Amino acid sequence: MQGNTRRTGVMTDVHRRFLQLLMTHGVLEECDVKRLQKHCYKVHDCNATVEKLEDFINTINSVLESLYIEIKKGVTEDDGRPIYALVNLATTSVSKMASDFAENELDLFRKALELIIDSDTGFASSTNILNLVDQLKGKKMRKKEAEHVLQKFVQNKWLIEKEGEFTLHGRAILEMDQYIRETYPDAVKVCNICRSLLIQGQSCETCGIRMHLPCVAKYFQSSSEPHCPHCNDYWPHEVPEVFDPEKERETGMSRSNKRPSRSRQH
Amino acid sequence: MSQKPKSRGRPSSQVEREPGGGGEEAPSTSRGPGGAASQRRAQASPAPGPRSQKQLELKVAELVQFLLIKDQRKIPIRRTDILRHVVGDYKDVLPELLRRAAERLEYVFGYRLVELEPRSNTYILVNTLEPVEEDAEVRGDQGTPTTGLLMIVLGLIFMKGNSIKETEVWDFLRRLGVHPTKKHLIFGDPKKLITEDFVRQRYLDYRRIPHTDPVDYELQWGPRTNLETSKMKVLKFVAKIHHQDPKDWPAHHCPCPNPFSCLLKSEAQPRARSLPGGKGWRWEEASCLFKFVVVPGRVCKLFFL
Repeated sequence: MQGNTRRTGVMTDVHRRFLQLLMTHGVLEECDVKRLQKHCYKVHDCNATVEKLEDFINTINSVLESLYIEIKKGVTEDDGRPIYALVNLATTSVSKMASDFAENELDLFRKALELIIDSDTGFASSTNILNLVDQLKGKKMRKKEAEHVLQKFVQNKWLIEKEGEFTLHGRAILEMDQYIRETYPDAVKVCNICRSLLIQGQSCETCGIRMHLPCVAKYFQSSSEPHCPHCNDYWPHEVPEVFDPEKERETGMSRSNKRPSRSRQH
Repeated sequence: MSQKPKSRGRPSSQVEREPGGGGEEAPSTSRGPGGAASQRRAQASPAPGPRSQKQLELKVAELVQFLLIKDQRKIPIRRTDILRHVVGDYKDVLPELLRRAAERLEYVFGYRLVELEPRSNTYILVNTLEPVEEDAEVRGDQGTPTTGLLMIVLGLIFMKGNSIKETEVWDFLRRLGVHPTKKHLIFGDPKKLITEDFVRQRYLDYRRIPHTDPVDYELQWGPRTNLETSKMKVLKFVAKIHHQDPKDWPAHHCPCPNPFSCLLKSEAQPRARSLPGGKGWRWEEASCLFKFVVVPGRVCKLFFL
């Protein structure tokens, strides 16, 4: 797997500082990753040209490979923003210790995860999650406490909350992709376009195929009348806009100003 | 907890050793029951067979993660913990594993694995990269305000000639609105922080002074402090909070017995009374004076199912 398959890059202090600081974030948006990269160059090597981010990260990943860690790139499911997260690829008992969460808290997450995966919309209601507190492993947890734990997951960017319902944060999807596919092989949903794991998205009402919102945006970008790529039936949902980092910067739009996401169409 | 079988490319530490590679019994011992032979077998642990590169590599990876996680909590890592939680029956190659893990930590992350004190068999990670103030703008965790408190205490210790009585520490801290018995908005329980947490993390040494009544304790720099920062840096921070340049205090560049008085002089007091977080300085600023291992945060999986 390693060594001879990929030429390992050379780590410099620029890369190390980047990695150290990246680790302080659970997940980071691309624009902030670029800013971080620039900062590291500035600290160590002012005059060097800032390497293309993709190559920069590939260098770091080539040395992380032997440690079973990777900087993974993904895209937020609701508005197509590129994100980066450091994920652990090896599942060993050591990882257990990494958790900031107690056994019953992890079990609560597990329960929420299962509800999210089983749902049609990719969201699980707070009520439904809280109704499962009696079934949790470990110390007994009251509903009130469970509410706080769910908020902790939101703060730590494992879950996203929208109007009292919870779905997986892009970070959790990146981190747990393999685990979800292995554990819920029948319930898991996949995007028709990119073939990646799908939690939120749009689905064809005729044939049932699903697509991520950013994938829908790209696929139907230049078509006036979108049709399902699988059964060719008319695509009934509103096609979102393709995420454009330049446009966002110009208009100075913040996330909170954006129109509400239409992630729950199905 | 049993492991689910992992797909290709997802190694697990519970994987059985490759056939023919492990569990070699002591030579010439029959597998039959009874007799000295089996007794001998029961007493001597089987010599482990040769392990594949991949197995060793996975062990090193686990060890690296373990060290990162443990150091995140700033508790020195004991060799015994390493043996128990990670190395297990790879005990015989522990020195090699440690060597490789240390090499990886330094090469990849810029963290050096150092022994806290000679022959203590406990380790910490020290950052080989110098923290810079601008790091604070791009970090995900906003530094720790408790570091500021630690810095003050370290400064006091230093100023007092490397050792200070606990009562004197509180005399000073009270002027900053930090009391041993009162809950603090930022620090919570400052007494616990100073006399327990910082001590456990080996930033401070806390020793009872014999024959004192009421009992008093003395505080000194702990071994971790010497590895992570320096007297100069502490001095810089202390000077900063009094808006003075270290060069104004030439006496402290080489520590001498009683320089502490200037800190307590009237000039210091009006400023000391201003609340931390007000203009001038923030508690978090002290973080950049420590060569902390940047908190690894969420390197590792949320949980292991």
